[in-house]
Parts: sequence; C-alpha cells; structure tokens
Amino acid sequence: MMVRERGNPPRRTILAIASGKGGTGKTTVAAHLAVTASRTMRTLLVDLDVEAPDAVGYFPGAVGTGDDEAVTVLVPSAVGDRCTGCGACAKACRFGAIVAIRDVVTIDARVCKGCGRCVALCPAGVLVEAPVPVGSVRSFSADGGLDIVEGRMHVGDIRATAVIEAAKRAASRLDAPIQIRDCPPGVTCPTVHAVEGADYVVLVAEPTAFSLHDLDAALSMVRDAGIPAGVIVNKQGFGTADIEGLCVKRGVPVIGRIAFLHTRARAGAAARLWTDDPELSAVLDGALSAALDASTMARPRTAS
Amino acid sequence: MTTVGVASGKGGAGKTSLAAALAAALAGAGGAPCVVADCDVDAANGAIALGAIVRERKAYFAGPGYRIDADACIRCGLCERACRFDAIRAAGTSARVIVPGLCERCGACVDVCPANAILTYQKQAGELFVSDTRLGIPLAHAELVPGEDTSGKMVRAVRERAVALASGDTVVVVDCPPGIGCPVIASLSGCDLVLVVVEAGASGIRDAERLLELIKSMDRKAVAVINKTGLDPLMDARARSMLAEAGIPSIGEIPFDVALRSMEEAGKTWLSATGSAGRSIAAVLSACIDALNIPPRPGSGTAEQRKENP
Repeated sequence: MMVRERGNPPRRTILAIASGKGGTGKTTVAAHLAVTASRTMRTLLVDLDVEAPDAVGYFPGAVGTGDDEAVTVLVPSAVGDRCTGCGACAKACRFGAIVAIRDVVTIDARVCKGCGRCVALCPAGVLVEAPVPVGSVRSFSADGGLDIVEGRMHVGDIRATAVIEAAKRAASRLDAPIQIRDCPPGVTCPTVHAVEGADYVVLVAEPTAFSLHDLDAALSMVRDAGIPAGVIVNKQGFGTADIEGLCVKRGVPVIGRIAFLHTRARAGAAARLWTDDPELSAVLDGALSAALDASTMARPRTAS
Repeated sequence: MTTVGVASGKGGAGKTSLAAALAAALAGAGGAPCVVADCDVDAANGAIALGAIVRERKAYFAGPGYRIDADACIRCGLCERACRFDAIRAAGTSARVIVPGLCERCGACVDVCPANAILTYQKQAGELFVSDTRLGIPLAHAELVPGEDTSGKMVRAVRERAVALASGDTVVVVDCPPGIGCPVIASLSGCDLVLVVVEAGASGIRDAERLLELIKSMDRKAVAVINKTGLDPLMDARARSMLAEAGIPSIGEIPFDVALRSMEEAGKTWLSATGSAGRSIAAVLSACIDALNIPPRPGSGTAEQRKENP
C-alpha cells in the first residue's frame, strides 16, 4: 500500500482516468464523469495530459480564473571564474545534462531535471540555480460548478513530470471532494506520475487488438502502484478484441460499457458533450458510483 | 538510408496502422528495402500490426533505482530534504520510504545519507526485439516493464537496432509515440520526413498543431494526412485550414470507416482496405513515398494483397 500521509487529506476522492493506448476515450470519459459528479458535489477536473491537454476543449463556456501559474525547474549554471573544471557535476548528473570536456563545463538547460545534485556536490561551490520555465498550470471554471485545472508543457520541453506534479499540487489546494484526473496515454513516467496518489484508476479500453495489448500493460502499472482499478469498455461493437475476457483473467471489474454509435463518434470529433443521451448517463452514473464505492473501501483507515 | 517518422500528437489518430501500411506499400513496391522501428514503446503495437515473430531478444536495463533499507535508516530526514521531487516520505518517526512513481533516480538522496541506508538496485526495465514480420520486413521493437520510466532512452535503443538492420538504400519507418515529449523528440530526431496524422476532431487538430510546432523547431520536413474525415464537416475544414496556415502540405484524407478498426485483428494492414477508405489510403501512401523521393515500382500495392489473400 502506498504511503499517503501527506498531500492527500481525508474525504477527498481522486479518480484517475487512464488507458495505455491513446485515443480510446480517456478525455471524453473524464469530461463526462466530471459533469456527472458535478451534479451532486463540487468537482475538479484535472488535465494531466500535459503534452496534449484537451479536456478544456469539451467546455466551451469555461472561463479562466486567476493568472496562469508558471511551472519552473531550477537549472544550474557556473558563475564567476572559480570553476576548476573538475567535472564532479558531470559525473553527478544522471540525466546527461552536463558535459565536462577538459576544463570546460557545459550545462544543457533543456535536459536538466533540476534535482540539485550537481550543486550539492560541486567542490568549488560555483553552481548557482535559476528557474527555467517548462510549462504552465491554468485554472478554469465551467458551467454547473465544475472547476478545471490544466497542466500544459511548453512545446519542445521534455519535463512533463514537473508540469504534472505542479498541476497535482494546484489541484490539491482547491477544496473539492472529488477530483477527476485525465491522464496521458502510455504506462511510463508521465502516466505513473499522473496516477500516483489516486484512490482509484478507471481504465478506458476499446475492443481492438491494440487496446487489448496496451490495457494489459496499464493493468500491470496500476497493480504495481497498489491502486484499485476498473475498466470502462468504450466503443463496444467497434472491433472484436476480447477486453472483457482480459478483465476476467486479471480480476478487474468492468464498471461500464459504452456502445459505439456514429452519433457519439460525431460528437467526439467536435468535442461536444453527449447530452441528451440517457443510455450513456445511466452508464456513467453506474461507473461513477462503482469507482467511488471501490475507492472508499480501499482508503486506509489510518489516513489523516 | 532514408528515415520517415509517423506521428500525430494525439493518441489513436492512426499512426501505427498507417506506419504498417506504409511499410507494406514500400515492400510491395519491390523497391527500397524497409525496416520498421516501433518507437511507441509504451504501447508497442507494431508487432500486432505486422504479425511479428521474434528473431532476437535482448534484456534492457535502465539506470539504477533506489530504495531505503528500513533497518539501516536512522530516520534523520536528510534524504527527504535533499529530494526535489517529494518522492521520499515518512510516516511519523518511522523509516523513510521512496515512492517509486515519483523518484526521478537522480541519486541526490544517496549523497546525503549518513547511514548508507539507501541502496541501489538494477532492475530489468524491458526487452528489445528484432522480429520477422508477415510482410518480410524486419521490425525493431521493445516491450517496457509497465511503470518503468526510461522510454526516451529505450526509444534511442530501438532506433539504433533499426539502423543496424538498415543498409544504404533502406527506408526506416519510425512509428512514433503520442504526445510531444521526450520519447517523441527521440523518435523524430534524425527523421528525413515526418508523416503527421491529423485526426479530424477538435482534440486531434489541437494536438497536431503542437506537434507541428515541435517539428518546426526541430527543422524537420513534414507532410500531413487528415484521418477520420466525414464525421464533422466543420472539423474537416478546420484541419485543412490549420495545415494551410502551418504551411504543411496535405497529401490526402482518409474517411472515417469502422471497417478499418478490425483489420489488424484480421491480420491485414490498411493497404488491403477496400472501398473509398482503401482508395484514399493507397493515394496517401503513394504520395508519401513520392515525398521520400523513392521511385515506386510497377505492381505497387499488390504484393501485400497477394500475401494476405493468396
């Protein structure tokens, strides 16, 4: 079980929407679950797909609240002429951001993760850090009491995780009993950061061979993170891959089934919410209660 | 060697399917030899799209990971203060714990621990493969252990293996990951041409715009295909005007067709698609091969159909 003594107050439930494969409907499901939840409680939708943030696009009426918060990392540079060129900083750097050739030290600010190890280990004490912008966090308010926090990495940057963590911190400062996180595709660092701290992960899959393969990897990721998960099968009838069979094999519940309809595909292309779709509303209500029930049961009693 | 990357920004736009079909078209043309590099190591589906049989496998190790020996930890908290990533946590006065999902593996904690309680471990982060495919094209690919955090490095390893399989006139087709981050930059560097797949939807267009900005900053040549058209005419028009404004030539449009979804399950690439989508795909692939300046040979597009429909 993950240690969650800090930054995760009780009575706040965090649902992370992930998938493995991209394009299965994560953002669509996250936006709809957020709307569903916001009918009964203050809800925060957190867009952590910082390389391709699209959740706000579902809410044309959303207005920005407050200023954009710049996300920065502390990047060192050698100042003055006291650098001896010893190369201790280059040896300390695990990210390949520092090269020391003969007496010349070159620091690549684009690759530096801002861990500060080189600064701590520089025997001459000549490294001085300055913040470098890597992205931004923006807040929005949409209709019906739904708040949105969006992380957005600058184009050309590689420090997605710094932006994700900043967006998570911004979200934790807002007082909403439920947070719905829209996570990036994949199963490595950005996704791992995006699901970390969540009480429950909703994995969105579609019945294609690609999605089946990637769902299996995503199930392993959330199992290793110690977070309970459920699967929404989206676009049922779209392909023939046996998503439900995999769920049975992996002992993970299917908490919703959304049939593929051309009307839904058309609305999805336009990033329009599927309003006036009672069948879908019922599916989402069911999925949301299943997720909330499971996260309440999973929450450790000792968290305070 | 010529390298063409297939990228999209948004996931699910059709990158892997188009990359596989492009490889099939190149092989079918009987022209330049071809190698596919599946650089979407987080969601490696090239092996499914191309029907891969693993020929070579090699364990892949990332850098060291760290964990704290609870018995040796003296609970001083110095590591917790040294960690910039909030990855070291303590339950009251108990031993510190590293949260693996947050640890960036910088090693700053190791330097400050007075008790030498922080241990280094090497864990296999995945496997690198070279496979034979049903099209006769070699595929360099990888499977990452889910949760491991080294996909940029692994992308470079896959690229290197693909290059090792290539000769002077080989075309390397790189299937890129979604997004615009570290693994995408690692996939696109060294590409002579990028085929940008724009999904004709609000999200797909926005994500492709960010990708085009990245491609421009990397000074790569790009052409674009608009996929899944016909769902919303407004979005189709928006995708076209976005490309026109970005100055990226569109080499065609592929209409949304549910039949394309299950082709991979049936062991076929999109090159075997029929109807209006099939004609569009053939035109797009031939335009892409033209943009690569590789002359197509007679019989282009039929070799795979012979293999798949004997």
